[in-house]
Amino acid sequence: MQVIENKIIKEKLYLEELENGLKVIVIPKKDTNKKMAIIGTKFGSVDNHFIKPQTKEEIVIPDGVAHFLEHKMFEQANGTNSLDTLTAMGVEANAYTTNDHTAYYFEAVDNFEPAFKELLDYVFNPYYTDENVEKEKGIIAQEIRMYDDDAISKVFLNALECMYEKCPVRLDVAGTVESVNKINKDILYDCYNTFYNPSNMILSVCGDFEPNYIIEFVKNNMRKIEKIGKIERIYPKETEKIYSNFKETSMDVSIPSFVIGIKDNLEKENIVKKELILNILLNYLLDENSKLYKELYDEGLLISEPDLEYEYSDIYSHMIIFSYSKDPKKVFEKIKTEISNLKENGLEEKSFNRVKNKIYGRLITSYNSPAQIGRIFMRDYMNDIISFDYINEWNNITIEEANKLLKDKFIEEKMILSIVNPK
Amino acid sequence: MSYNSKEIKKGITLHTIKTDKFKTNLLAIFLTFPIIKDEATKNTLIALMLKRGSKLYKTREDITNKLAEMYGASLDSGIEKSGDNHILKFYLESINEEYLPKKEDLLKESVNLLFDVVFNPNIEDGKFNEEFLEQEKYSLEQIINSKIDNKAMYALNRCIEEMYENKPYGIYKYGYVEDLKNIDGHNLYEQYKKIISTCKIDIFVSGNNGNVDNYIMENDMIKELNEREPKYVTEGKSSNENNEKYIEEKMDVKQGKLVIGTDIKNFGKDFRYSAQVYNAILGGSANSKLFQNVREKASLAYTVSSNYMKLKSNIFIRAGIEIENYEKALNIIKEQIEEMKQGEFSDEDIINAKRIITAGIKNIKEEQDIEISYYYGQELSNVKTSIPEYLKSIEEVSKQDIIDVANNININTIYFLRD
Repeated sequence: MQVIENKIIKEKLYLEELENGLKVIVIPKKDTNKKMAIIGTKFGSVDNHFIKPQTKEEIVIPDGVAHFLEHKMFEQANGTNSLDTLTAMGVEANAYTTNDHTAYYFEAVDNFEPAFKELLDYVFNPYYTDENVEKEKGIIAQEIRMYDDDAISKVFLNALECMYEKCPVRLDVAGTVESVNKINKDILYDCYNTFYNPSNMILSVCGDFEPNYIIEFVKNNMRKIEKIGKIERIYPKETEKIYSNFKETSMDVSIPSFVIGIKDNLEKENIVKKELILNILLNYLLDENSKLYKELYDEGLLISEPDLEYEYSDIYSHMIIFSYSKDPKKVFEKIKTEISNLKENGLEEKSFNRVKNKIYGRLITSYNSPAQIGRIFMRDYMNDIISFDYINEWNNITIEEANKLLKDKFIEEKMILSIVNPK
Repeated sequence: MSYNSKEIKKGITLHTIKTDKFKTNLLAIFLTFPIIKDEATKNTLIALMLKRGSKLYKTREDITNKLAEMYGASLDSGIEKSGDNHILKFYLESINEEYLPKKEDLLKESVNLLFDVVFNPNIEDGKFNEEFLEQEKYSLEQIINSKIDNKAMYALNRCIEEMYENKPYGIYKYGYVEDLKNIDGHNLYEQYKKIISTCKIDIFVSGNNGNVDNYIMENDMIKELNEREPKYVTEGKSSNENNEKYIEEKMDVKQGKLVIGTDIKNFGKDFRYSAQVYNAILGGSANSKLFQNVREKASLAYTVSSNYMKLKSNIFIRAGIEIENYEKALNIIKEQIEEMKQGEFSDEDIINAKRIITAGIKNIKEEQDIEISYYYGQELSNVKTSIPEYLKSIEEVSKQDIIDVANNININTIYFLRD
């Protein structure tokens, strides 16, 4: 078992890969009654074309399968539903699907062991029938309808459609009512047998435990599954250029919402440092302390601090600025002007350090609860990152590097604007 | 870990929660007073203006810069309605010094900053800064108008408004656009002086905080606050007497939002615990009758649930459904309410429901803001229940108690948002 300690945050991590390929992360945490376990598979909405390792067969699936499968994992052959079983134990259980992964988790104060057993059971024992697959279609249709009325999901989705021409990140995670109707149990089993192999999965557990106890518990409570070879995923070739620089639509809302997207090149090196610096830059540019935010606020162009994010996977990489404004186009222009000013004059040392400290505070705060810790370690490890690396790398960031990334990454030709206007 | 509360002056209570579970210290100030229609807009605006600058930190930028220097400490405010009270909430979260790259007493700075923001506003010539005020009025107008943006929330608020028309609980917590035009820096400051000298004040500190009592007691702002007989409401006005009043509203939506507002008649001392268990069985979880029958069996919805609002004794049932399925969904929901009356639920349902509630109670001490809210809730209801007592009361709820709740429920209003 690998042990990694971080002296700054005063936490330790234990990591072991089981014989079946499952990666298990344990973060022991004293003085807490809360426990959590989360298991994730590298299977998200972007994985819609792949080669089955067992048969070498090439498979193309309808949009929304990863999400559909997540809904259907809870059903058991004996007629029970694991979500009901877990809920009845008094633990908080749920699951979610994103562009690049799917995860199942629970948080518990009592009954951790039986709940953990149930998690290891239902995630590794699928049960799909024609009947239970049909039944789910109505439920998922209502989930899609709910998001149809949500301006925020619309404005984000349109932004992705602008940035990417072919990359499947531009598709809605849940698919469409039409694509969901094409899903059947054979498709689900094909995907399950490929992506839910333990070698494609990560389990992360946080709470007051002995790490060995958790590892043994997992070994004793998982059915035997053979490791499969590498899954070959096939993605359409995406150019480095944006697909279009503008999209707007209208809905029954009170104020326009907007997303400014900045497309980035795919890179694997120094990703932790890059992510930290891009976050510092985005905050320097537009967080509530920034010069630009003050100006926009005073003019009534922004009324709350924008959401600022950098997101990436193996096939996409971009920055996002989301907020509300009476005039998003004007906000976009001002942001572009400010970026070129900053490029020309360089970042101010004092403000840079202020933002850098703020990012440090956020990193530390994210270690407050077992639920958050478990999730962060699972998520980061999907990208082969040990979360402690962010705290370690933070120290090494210099203003020179930030100035360089500002010039390299904040390029006007790579920026897009998506707006949802009131009707 | 320990919890202590003491009245530092009449009407002003300091609550300290000592815990080393967290990497942060959380400081909170809650100002509580009765919600009044004509004053709701002003009070919301006060919360916004306080964050625009204080005596020591003159502008919004001065405050946010200070926060950023404190390793990104975060200052949040919230405007809430709880029972018939209006509450202005201010939070400041900062890192415990143990985890800083170099030692600094961030908690002391946090106390000074938050107290200056709340109790020492930037007033000149007896008024709030007019330029800032215009900006905040504009902001508030956007906030009020944005109530239509989240359709599920909007539908719930509209149902509450209908049930409590012309009653305090029917007031929109952010206020009303038409009231904005009569507010100026002067009358807003008068309102501030009025609430700050009469409201109930609760100060909370959660974290690893050896010296915090001293910091607070020595704070000049605290010294200057007057004693008061705080005006706040423990027993509010109940809903209007309706019987299945139907309200339909149209908007450009793809999914219909159904909200059923019910009243539970108060029939005894401990009925709130029974109502909590009743709600968990009816629609409080994935095991509930609503989730199982509306979603899992009939595939009519993705979201369907019920919520129990203790202070007003209401249960709100909510579902997002295909618009044409309105009758179907309503019938299934009513069947579940009827079955509860007939006692058609198992002992296992009761055990499961209690386990879910119990897990929630045991989780209170695991998150700083939840724990603060718990102790504050006790302040508001004037009922002090320890966590073990709370657990015991839930355990003691019997099947008959739940059936009694079921038979004291009346559907007040059915609200449907559709295209």
